[in-house]
Amino acid sequence: MSQATKLPKPGLLTTLKEFPGNVWSSIFRHSLPNSDLGRSQTSFTNFFLHIHPVKVNRNTLKPWYTLGLGLMSFFLFVILTVSGILLMFYYVPATTQAYDRMLDLRGSVAFGTFLRNMHRWGAHFMVAIVFLHMCRVFFTGSYKKPREFNWVVGVMLFLLTLFSSFTGYLLPWDQLAFWAITVGTAIAGYAPVVGQDMRFLLLGDYTVGQEALLRFYVLHIAVLPLLVTVLVSIHFWRIRKDGGLSRPADADAPPQPEIPKKENLAEWPRELEPVAVTASAAPAVNGVPALAVAAKTVAPVLPIEKKHYGIQGLVRGPFTKVGNVPENSVFSWPNLFMAELFVLVLTIAGVLVVSLLFNAPLEEPVNVLHPPNPAKAPWYFLGLQEQVSYSAFWGGVGVPGLEVLILLLAPYLDRSNKGVGKWFAKERLLPNTLFLIFVIVNIVLIIIGTFFRGPNWEFVSPW
Amino acid sequence: MAVGKPAKHAVEELTEGQQNRRRMLAWLSSVGLFGSAIISAISNLVFIKPRATYGAPNRFGIGKPDDFPSGTRIALGEHRVCIVREGDKLCAISTTCTHLGCIIAPSETGFACPCHGSRFDQDGNVTGGPAPKPLPWYALSLAPNGELEVDKGTEVGAGTYLKV
Repeated sequence: MSQATKLPKPGLLTTLKEFPGNVWSSIFRHSLPNSDLGRSQTSFTNFFLHIHPVKVNRNTLKPWYTLGLGLMSFFLFVILTVSGILLMFYYVPATTQAYDRMLDLRGSVAFGTFLRNMHRWGAHFMVAIVFLHMCRVFFTGSYKKPREFNWVVGVMLFLLTLFSSFTGYLLPWDQLAFWAITVGTAIAGYAPVVGQDMRFLLLGDYTVGQEALLRFYVLHIAVLPLLVTVLVSIHFWRIRKDGGLSRPADADAPPQPEIPKKENLAEWPRELEPVAVTASAAPAVNGVPALAVAAKTVAPVLPIEKKHYGIQGLVRGPFTKVGNVPENSVFSWPNLFMAELFVLVLTIAGVLVVSLLFNAPLEEPVNVLHPPNPAKAPWYFLGLQEQVSYSAFWGGVGVPGLEVLILLLAPYLDRSNKGVGKWFAKERLLPNTLFLIFVIVNIVLIIIGTFFRGPNWEFVSPW
Repeated sequence: MAVGKPAKHAVEELTEGQQNRRRMLAWLSSVGLFGSAIISAISNLVFIKPRATYGAPNRFGIGKPDDFPSGTRIALGEHRVCIVREGDKLCAISTTCTHLGCIIAPSETGFACPCHGSRFDQDGNVTGGPAPKPLPWYALSLAPNGELEVDKGTEVGAGTYLKV
């Protein structure tokens, strides 16, 4: 090696001076971008941003299209994971200790009440937001081809959200917890054939006790979060593979240039052709230069730029959407990321405000002999409880089972591809009406269960 | 590399016997793999199904017959059973609702469930609400030490009394 190519050995001072910058740039490969190239590179050299496409369709960014509900559900899951892990430092899944630990959280742990509030209200929010997200996807027809399976994953995530919430309910070991689980597992017992075995496996015993508490704890902190994480990953990955969020068919079309009117035709630039040049000697007709007359057969050059982005242009098949429709898309950085940041701030703010203002309920410690009267489940299960008070099998197993089955099969039953990407599209009147009826019936049942049921589950008037 | 002919890679012509053997080996290994996966999945179920439980015993003494004067209906909460005495006849009726397992309380007309509104008459027959079955009656006997003994493991027909 020649002396000339050898770099000068950096001195200790230089090394120290450049140390922070070197560490920073080894983690973040790009500084904040100020060019299109930089915007692309920032998106795909960062692991977390890489989940996003470099460019997104403008329709994706319309706030009234998605309402940020899916993202909100994800952020709530993150908030629940973090607050849940912190709560695990102070919780013991033992019937003799669980309730005292709840009192400790309230009395002697710094921010204990606040964290419990965040966990409890976050879970309530998550159930609501996940359900609303499902409604959004249905009403915009976004479950249609090629997103059918992602809808199925979504329905499973909704069920897992409910089940996570249900398993969390037992952990404080208060009256509400005990009777909710007694009733809930009894409903599971009504399932045909496997019902009783399922109940026994859930409880680890024939009645709700220590074994049940431990089992629900393990399901709540390990099994269900793991399943949710795996399914959420698939859910997100599929969104990319299916070409981003759904949008109306015309959202992909390049913006239509103004078609020049006949009288203005002369003002549009024309492609020069040898024919036109040779015709330049001809006299002018009606004030229009001869050049234009000769070029009449040549199409006007419309202002459409053809863009190609790197290797994506070479990939064939239905999966790669990047670069196919560049005209109607914008760079993810900063447009998408700012929108996501806004949703994050909104979600955290919502949970924090509610957690500061309202304390999560904690009822009397478990009394196996005296159920509270009436023993009510959390609001999102009150519709189920109302149904169950008519018939345990049909209300608790039959009807909900059919509902879930229909939800899972929806994209395979409704196969028309009309009205995708628009809220309440006219073409989707029938499916949207059916879904709306399903939503309204459940909301009405929840309202009846919440406000119109008194002691002994008798009909009372809230006024 | 030879210039003329393109190099021939390991594309060998398989005889029918070789093909069959490969297919059979592939089949056997997938059966082995999926079989062991299924067996381990089942072993998980076996693992989480407890072999012994530590709940309350099914047979227990509840005291002398004289502790239950005639005409009383005393619910023994911890045992989830109600002792009824009329004259010299005694019986034990379950106080676990047959609907969803809530504890029901004796009422004026029989029993009432606070959770979902099931109603039962004095003998445990359903008179209202979603309960699908009448309340079971448990075997009641007089132990040698003179105490009444309830056996929740044995159901008896409604109207089966113990005479003392």
